[in-house]
Amino acid sequence: MLPDRGYGIAVKLHLRHAYRVTGHPILLDVQALGKSVPGPRRLFRSLDLQVRAGELVAIIGESGVGKSTLLNILAGLDDADDGQVAIDGTILGSLDEAARTRLRRERIGFVFQAFHILPYLTLRQNVALPLALISPDADAAETRATAMLTAVGLGDRGDGYARDLSGGELQRVAIARALVHRPSLILADEPTGNLDPDTASRVLALFANAVRDNGAAGVMVTHSDASAAIADRVLTLGADGLVERRGR
Amino acid sequence: MAAEPGLLSGRLALGWLIGGEWRFHPARFLTTAIAIAVGVALGFAVHLVNGSALASFDGAVRGVNGAAELSVTATSPLGIDERLYPQVLQGAGVADASPVVRLDARIGGNRLTLLGLDVIRAAAVTPSLVGIPPQGPASSSDGVFDESSLFLSRTALERSRLAIGDRVTVTANGRNVPLRVVGTLPAAEADAAIGVIDIAAAQWRFERIGRIDRIDLSLSNRRTAEEALAQLLPADAILSTAQARGAQGSALSRAYRVNLDMLALVALLTGGFLVYSAQSLSVARRQRAFALLRTLGMPRRAVVAAVVVEGVVIGIVGGATGLAAGYGLAWSALHWFGGDLGAGYFGGTAARIVFQPAAAAGFFALGLIAAVLGSAVPARAAARAAPAAALKNAGDVLDPRRAVAWWPAAVLLAAGGGAALLPATGGLPLFGFLGMALMLAGGVAGVPWFARSLLAPLARRRGGSVPAMLAIRHLHGAPGEAATALCGIVASTALMIAMATMVTSFRGAVDTWLGQVLGADLYLRANAGASFDPATRAHLAATPGVDRLAFSRQLPLTIAADRPPISLIARPERGGRDPLLVLVERTSSLPASALPVWVSEPAQRLYGWDPGETIILPIAGRTRFTVAGVWRDYGRQAGAVLVDEADYQRLTGDTGRDEVSATLQPGSDATAVGKAMTARLPGALRGQVDVTQPAVLRRLALTLFDRSFAVTYLLEAVAILVGLAGVAATMSAQTIAREREFGMLRHLGLTRGQLGAMLATEGAVVGLTGALAGIGLGLVLAQVLIHVINPQSFNWTMTTRVPLGTLFGVAAALTGASAATAVLAGRRATATGAVQSVREDW
Amino acid sequence: MRNALSGWLALVAVAAPAAVPYPVVRPGITLAFPADHGAHPGFRTEWWYVTGWLRTAAGEDLGFQVTFFRTRPPVDAANPSRFTARQVVFAHAALSDPATGRLLHGERAARVGFGLARARTGDADIGIRDWRLRRTPDNRWTTQIFANDFALALDFRPTQPPMPQGLAGYSRKGPRPEQASYYYSIPHLRVAGRVRRGDRIVPVTGEAWLDREWSSDYLAPQAEGWDWTGLNFDDGSALMAFRIRRKGGGTLWAGGALRRPDGITTPLGPRDVAFRPLATWRSGATGAVYPVSQEVSIRVDGRIARWRLTPMFAAQELDARRGGLPVYWEGAVRTPGGRGYLELTGYNQALRM
Repeated sequence: MLPDRGYGIAVKLHLRHAYRVTGHPILLDVQALGKSVPGPRRLFRSLDLQVRAGELVAIIGESGVGKSTLLNILAGLDDADDGQVAIDGTILGSLDEAARTRLRRERIGFVFQAFHILPYLTLRQNVALPLALISPDADAAETRATAMLTAVGLGDRGDGYARDLSGGELQRVAIARALVHRPSLILADEPTGNLDPDTASRVLALFANAVRDNGAAGVMVTHSDASAAIADRVLTLGADGLVERRGR
Repeated sequence: MAAEPGLLSGRLALGWLIGGEWRFHPARFLTTAIAIAVGVALGFAVHLVNGSALASFDGAVRGVNGAAELSVTATSPLGIDERLYPQVLQGAGVADASPVVRLDARIGGNRLTLLGLDVIRAAAVTPSLVGIPPQGPASSSDGVFDESSLFLSRTALERSRLAIGDRVTVTANGRNVPLRVVGTLPAAEADAAIGVIDIAAAQWRFERIGRIDRIDLSLSNRRTAEEALAQLLPADAILSTAQARGAQGSALSRAYRVNLDMLALVALLTGGFLVYSAQSLSVARRQRAFALLRTLGMPRRAVVAAVVVEGVVIGIVGGATGLAAGYGLAWSALHWFGGDLGAGYFGGTAARIVFQPAAAAGFFALGLIAAVLGSAVPARAAARAAPAAALKNAGDVLDPRRAVAWWPAAVLLAAGGGAALLPATGGLPLFGFLGMALMLAGGVAGVPWFARSLLAPLARRRGGSVPAMLAIRHLHGAPGEAATALCGIVASTALMIAMATMVTSFRGAVDTWLGQVLGADLYLRANAGASFDPATRAHLAATPGVDRLAFSRQLPLTIAADRPPISLIARPERGGRDPLLVLVERTSSLPASALPVWVSEPAQRLYGWDPGETIILPIAGRTRFTVAGVWRDYGRQAGAVLVDEADYQRLTGDTGRDEVSATLQPGSDATAVGKAMTARLPGALRGQVDVTQPAVLRRLALTLFDRSFAVTYLLEAVAILVGLAGVAATMSAQTIAREREFGMLRHLGLTRGQLGAMLATEGAVVGLTGALAGIGLGLVLAQVLIHVINPQSFNWTMTTRVPLGTLFGVAAALTGASAATAVLAGRRATATGAVQSVREDW
Repeated sequence: MRNALSGWLALVAVAAPAAVPYPVVRPGITLAFPADHGAHPGFRTEWWYVTGWLRTAAGEDLGFQVTFFRTRPPVDAANPSRFTARQVVFAHAALSDPATGRLLHGERAARVGFGLARARTGDADIGIRDWRLRRTPDNRWTTQIFANDFALALDFRPTQPPMPQGLAGYSRKGPRPEQASYYYSIPHLRVAGRVRRGDRIVPVTGEAWLDREWSSDYLAPQAEGWDWTGLNFDDGSALMAFRIRRKGGGTLWAGGALRRPDGITTPLGPRDVAFRPLATWRSGATGAVYPVSQEVSIRVDGRIARWRLTPMFAAQELDARRGGLPVYWEGAVRTPGGRGYLELTGYNQALRM
């Protein structure tokens, strides 16, 4: 577990880091994305977004603007009306269902608001789950999962179960799980929605560090400015697409 | 009530809670109500059918007996000396007495009881047996004392398709007597096939001079009369009351009826488990809602009340529907299969349905209790949860490391085993059934432990396919959830396996036994009291192709007034001449002076006649016999005793024989010899002797056997279906409740196929677990059935035979059905829309 | 003239006359006593019928009837069974108590055999189990009756000789000569004995009437029933009168006899007897309407004599169908200067005999 004091400094360091990643490859490339829902309403159109390796982007917006829909489209779980999404060079629109699932399994990591740690698996098994889906090598998976748990400060809890952990700890397990298979893209939907502010900021810092340290592209959807502040870039989702927030 | 706010003040919130649940999940309520309804319907229907059949059987018995309050009855068809009649009539406390000659008779192929009555006495004692001729000009030549006048009950008249005025030939006691139908017995029980003639005519024409079979009594003082008559009665007569006669009739079928009732209750029990499953799920799903309400100030007991009220409504709806359905079911069963449901206990009496308000109330109450208990248990669990924790937590309080308690199951099983060892009460294996119920409860309570233990080695296994790993880890971690789904099916499977094992064992035993006892080549049997006299016997023995004939006499012999008569069989037996007697026990040595008697297993159990004991039988007065052995007999539930033919003839002077078993010379054609033997019979006897071959008898016996258990199979099948419905409902609800989990797994990259495989594996494992638990429990219960229930109700024993085919079939069916259910339910839970449900946006 | 031959009796009586040769009743016999007090087993039916008025020590009036029937069913005499119904005996007793306005009655029946019922020849001795009516050698008649709610133990001492009815005992009942019976009565029997009602036993005295009748062919097919009365007059005279009613109305046959105190008897033919209903009573139990009060007119020596019969009380109907007997009215009646019994049969349903 990291000492309490270190976090404020970490946040500032990360702010500066944003400028350092500009030279890294673009792992997520969204171009002219448009999505409408049944009825006259349009969620967004002509949405463009590029996220580079090691970069964490926060997307904020009012309820109902389509933040979660955007995430689902990025994950290949929903289809856009127009535009395209490329993950590490692979264009989602060109893939069938099975290929998208494979892509998701190998290249994307998820962090959910409600953690979704399976109660009947050990924490190590939970973390190792994405690896288990890719390869049957149990030893390798568990070694890597232990390493990930150690990285989020829960190295000694691998044999425990969800029941033993607090909300913050569960989300750290979830973060470990999201990164265990070295994904190109990490999608997080309100990762701190169920946590108190203090815990939230610690978990967020951990999350941001983890994304950067693993060289993944991170997209985090939130409606909290405080959460968004940890990101390298903060984009506001509205009817006209994503608008970069200035004045920071 | 003092500590918490009142329920009444919170009734509005309570109403919203229940009403809202119903509006959103009407199907769930309906399914549970149907489960209860099926149980109630089955129980009620079986009870109604049995009750109606018994009532009409009773009616038939009463009909033949004319409802006399007390009768002096001959212990065997040899009858009693008629000179007893004036003594009885003049006995203290006796107001009037009606002597009766009773004959088993036939008109053509239709059986009836032919009574010879003194119409004057009968008019005072048993008026329902008194016939009246039809009014009108044609009656001028009628006469109640006329030797040729025959009065028939409506049933007898209709069965023989006769009209008043017809001339008929009535066959009884081996005589064919022409009579004329002169009237009906309008007061006789509708179901009884009775004919009435004058007693003097009966004695004369059917050669019963000097003998009567019964004296019906009307009494001025019952106690005085019973005391006086006890002094008066000879050994071959007993006093029997109307109740005793009813008991005699119902005793035969009682155990069978109780067994059926118990089976029907199993369906109800399964329904109760189903309510438990459904309500558990519903409560689990609403845990947050309850927590919220508790936080808002709803009392703990209001939560319980809400769920229990739901149970009450389910119970009322299910119970009422069940009663209506049960009545309809009973009606159709009676209409299509008859009152014995094919078992042959109430042979020949047509049953009409008799509504039984008390039974209806009972089954309704049972349905209600099942529903309320099924709801109360999960309700209490819900109320115990700390509201704050429940509200905050997503509900996953599961802990796979927590040990599953094994001791409640062990205690229940042990208690059940103990109860099963207790003796029968009132001739019924009530403790046996209690034991089975306890063991069943224990078995169901042990399912979580069983599932955990079964899956532990698999769960420890690392690697393998992710879906299988997830499925097994889930079941291993949450065996309670599986148990909730399984309780109903484990109970019904266990009972079905138990019954199937018992029936298989029984059938096997009967089959073996039939093979042993049907050792002759040909059987001849005289009907309607006809018999082979010595001359005929000699003539038959001389038939070409016949090697040896064994003649026997079989008579009912009443030992106790309230028990059905046992069979007295006289056969050449001394010196072990009969190789067909399958002895299960024998005495080591018999005093040379003793009269040997071989008793059947039921007779041994019913009357406590053990080998070596001296017993007194009402044959030619009171004769002492020594029990020489006990033989296996599945044919005569009321018991039978076998005495040597020579002893019998010496004691009774009866030279008639009514059965012949023939051993043929090698190479003889049984059919041809049978025809030749028939041709050698005197003309009067020819139409009254059936010639059968052992294969036919064996087939007939097994057909009867299967028919009598057909309804059992049906009930079992229904119980299984109810159980499967429970598995399906519970599994689908549980699967749907795991929607988010599946959504997350889809995010992680599990394909729908993998999810389906996971669910199928889970379903199959659940089904297999249920099947294994049910089969294991069923095999244990079968031992109770075979070694406790059967001997105590039917008085025969057997060795266990396991119906392997059925076991595999049940296991496969259950596994497949649950897997299919899980996959079907999973389709909904893993639909694309559902994938997005990982978001906490509700 | 006796009623109750319906129910079993009637069934027996109408059955197959051809099979069993019953003796035919013909005129020209002489009654011989005591033999004719006894049974005549060859005939199809026979009865001993005592009716009368009793008085208790307290001065209460009671009416009573004690009846024994004997019948010979048309059974095969070759039947060796002890139960063979060669003879069947029926008995019927009733007690009319004006204090209650109600009739108590009881009945018994049995076939002979096993010593349970008897109808001796040679002198009157007939009984069923403990019910009995017999004549003792000292010319006393005596009866014991034990019914459920009453019992009778009565002695009857004749004060007059038997009174042959019809032509010296041959009594026509219908248009054909064989529709007849042998018939004598003993009126003015002096009664002494005890009556039990419920648990109370009281000594009684009184006056009674004995009817004795035997026949093989009693009632014409077109007959519906009959009205009969036997009256003991205070002056020692006695009147028997009957009419047989035709189905559909009218009188089919009538007859009777009047014996004066000096013993001179006048037989009455069909034209000499008339019954005229004065009052009727409707039975609530059976719905039958009985002319319980009648005026009996007879023509003797060219003069018409009339008696108005008034019942002791109206409700003296007997519904004895349960015991195989018919529904009829048999009641104690008063008349100026005398008392007796009135019998009304066939009012509920036509009788067959």
